[in-house]
Amino acid sequence: MLTLRRSNLYAAHAHQKEAGPIRRFLMKEKVAGYLFISPWIIGFLLFYLYPLLDTFYNSFTEYKLFGDPQWIGLQNYVNLFHDPTFGQTCLHMVIYVSLATIIYMVGGLGLALLLSRNFPGNHVFRIIFYLPFLMVGVAIGSMFVQVFNAEDYGLLNEILALFHIAPINWLANYDHPIIGLYALIFVNFWFTGGTMLIFIAGLKGISQTYYEAARIDGAGPWQRFWSITLPLLTPVLLFNTVITLIGHIQVFDTALIFAGQGTGSIGIGGFTSVLGYHDSWSVFLTNLFRDAFIYHNYGYGSAMAIIIFLITLVLTGVVLIIFQRFTYYESENR
Amino acid sequence: MFFNHRKSLQPSLTEVPAHAAGMGSVARTQDRRLYQRGRTYQKISMILTYAVLIIMALIILLPFAWLLSGSLKTIGQYYASPIQWIPNPFKWSNYVEAFTVYGFARYVLNSIFLAVWEMVASTIVSSLVAFGFARFRFPGRMVLFLIMLSTLMLPAQVLTIPLYITFKNLGWIDTFLPLMVPQLFGSAYNIFLFRQFFMGLPRELDDAARIDGCGYLRIWWYIILPQSRPVFVVVAIFAFLTSWRDAWKPLIYLNSQDMRTIPLGLLYFTNGYSSVYPQMMAATVVALAAPVLLYALGQRYIDRGIAIAEIK
Repeated sequence: MLTLRRSNLYAAHAHQKEAGPIRRFLMKEKVAGYLFISPWIIGFLLFYLYPLLDTFYNSFTEYKLFGDPQWIGLQNYVNLFHDPTFGQTCLHMVIYVSLATIIYMVGGLGLALLLSRNFPGNHVFRIIFYLPFLMVGVAIGSMFVQVFNAEDYGLLNEILALFHIAPINWLANYDHPIIGLYALIFVNFWFTGGTMLIFIAGLKGISQTYYEAARIDGAGPWQRFWSITLPLLTPVLLFNTVITLIGHIQVFDTALIFAGQGTGSIGIGGFTSVLGYHDSWSVFLTNLFRDAFIYHNYGYGSAMAIIIFLITLVLTGVVLIIFQRFTYYESENR
Repeated sequence: MFFNHRKSLQPSLTEVPAHAAGMGSVARTQDRRLYQRGRTYQKISMILTYAVLIIMALIILLPFAWLLSGSLKTIGQYYASPIQWIPNPFKWSNYVEAFTVYGFARYVLNSIFLAVWEMVASTIVSSLVAFGFARFRFPGRMVLFLIMLSTLMLPAQVLTIPLYITFKNLGWIDTFLPLMVPQLFGSAYNIFLFRQFFMGLPRELDDAARIDGCGYLRIWWYIILPQSRPVFVVVAIFAFLTSWRDAWKPLIYLNSQDMRTIPLGLLYFTNGYSSVYPQMMAATVVALAAPVLLYALGQRYIDRGIAIAEIK
């Protein structure tokens, strides 16, 4: 379709007239450069910088559905601090982000190691493991709600029954609502394909001479892993950790579906169940969604948004700083 | 800590010849034992690897298989316990119902429309912007690029509130506009992918065209684009998928039932009074099928694209 032909170059040359002053200005490299990136700059200003500043301003106001924002200073933040729902959300996020990230890292690395050798069927496995990563979040959520269904027809409980374990009420557990959150974390096992792919690419970048030298030295596989693979993988580890961390902080689709129990009940009876049974699935984004777009409490929601923003920033910074000390870059000469 | 280990490897590389030459038979025996240990060890490790992989693959595929089988059952068969894996007969009407009664036909069209728009608009604009970043020198180039990268790190969802208010004042709520206009300005992720790729393209063709008097836009069209097919495929697919699976934006900006996209359709899937799990599973299968098809088509390019993005 688009092939490179010499005639293209000639065609480009053919309609050449003497350029007027405006045209010559536009052909200056600097100006043209700015012109080319101008769409992004405009988009950045409109859809990133302006909302950021406006959210920041709104967080200090009382701003509801009707009426104009009114300055109330830090009151929103104080309320946020005392809000039990948000406190539970934060707790959930700590649990979720840490566990989910560990699962992604360990699972992805493990799978990548298993798949790093060339054997028949390697490619098939890679595709299978990567597949869930491509799926629509909402669809995945609704599928897993069926899997976790507490009554007789849930897949997971059926499997447990094969092992003669009593069915567990995953989603609406009276005694321990937090199990719902663990069900959500459990779902993460299916998505380790994403990090796996990046780890595979990273593993390919480790030159084989290190391994040969180690083998000659008599290093066992475990030693080889600790002393060669892991240190040389640290840039990839860092990249993956930051990305998955940020991704997990933004979890929304699956948490929302689990909260609605997949029966479409998010539609029935309004949005009262956005956060789930006993609020067991409140995560940052669902909490924000509820307060800002259902309760229409824009000021309060803005404060929450700023807090989420800052937490992400701090977390990313902390991870980057900690990892800097341990990261070995192939390109640097030690 | 790690570096100490690595340093200790290098002296041994030079030690080997002397070691093998000097010790004679003892070294040979040791080598042979290591070699034999290698063969059976390798076989066992291969078998173990296969076993683990197959188990994991089954675990991953199990929910999907169950989803497929459930989508073809009647509601009675669905509730049956133990699980009937192969429903008899196949109730294809579940799919038909999902499309008509539950309006999924409309949702699919909406999703396709928005996804194609994002694919086309975002890809083209992002490649233009990336061209600017890759091939031009202007003051502040690095700073702007770094700013763009930093926008990737912070969730855009938290910035939705003022946008929502603005769109409300503009009367754009419940139209597709809030979901279409931002795509005209390029997406940081796509720009990043494009730029990395463009920077790897040789400049000779560019310069030849410049000497011939080519304008910058012509260079972009005639020179850069034809060479960029892999990255275009990758970015197009990513853009399509991003829009296809997005639940946040449609949830906030769209209200009426006609305008819903597939994620919303799944969220609201109910007939009001009874359980409709099989039909819902049919709809879920449809929702999951499209990205899988796309991936199958573009898989080669996707792997390459991820590798490119990885090399920072």
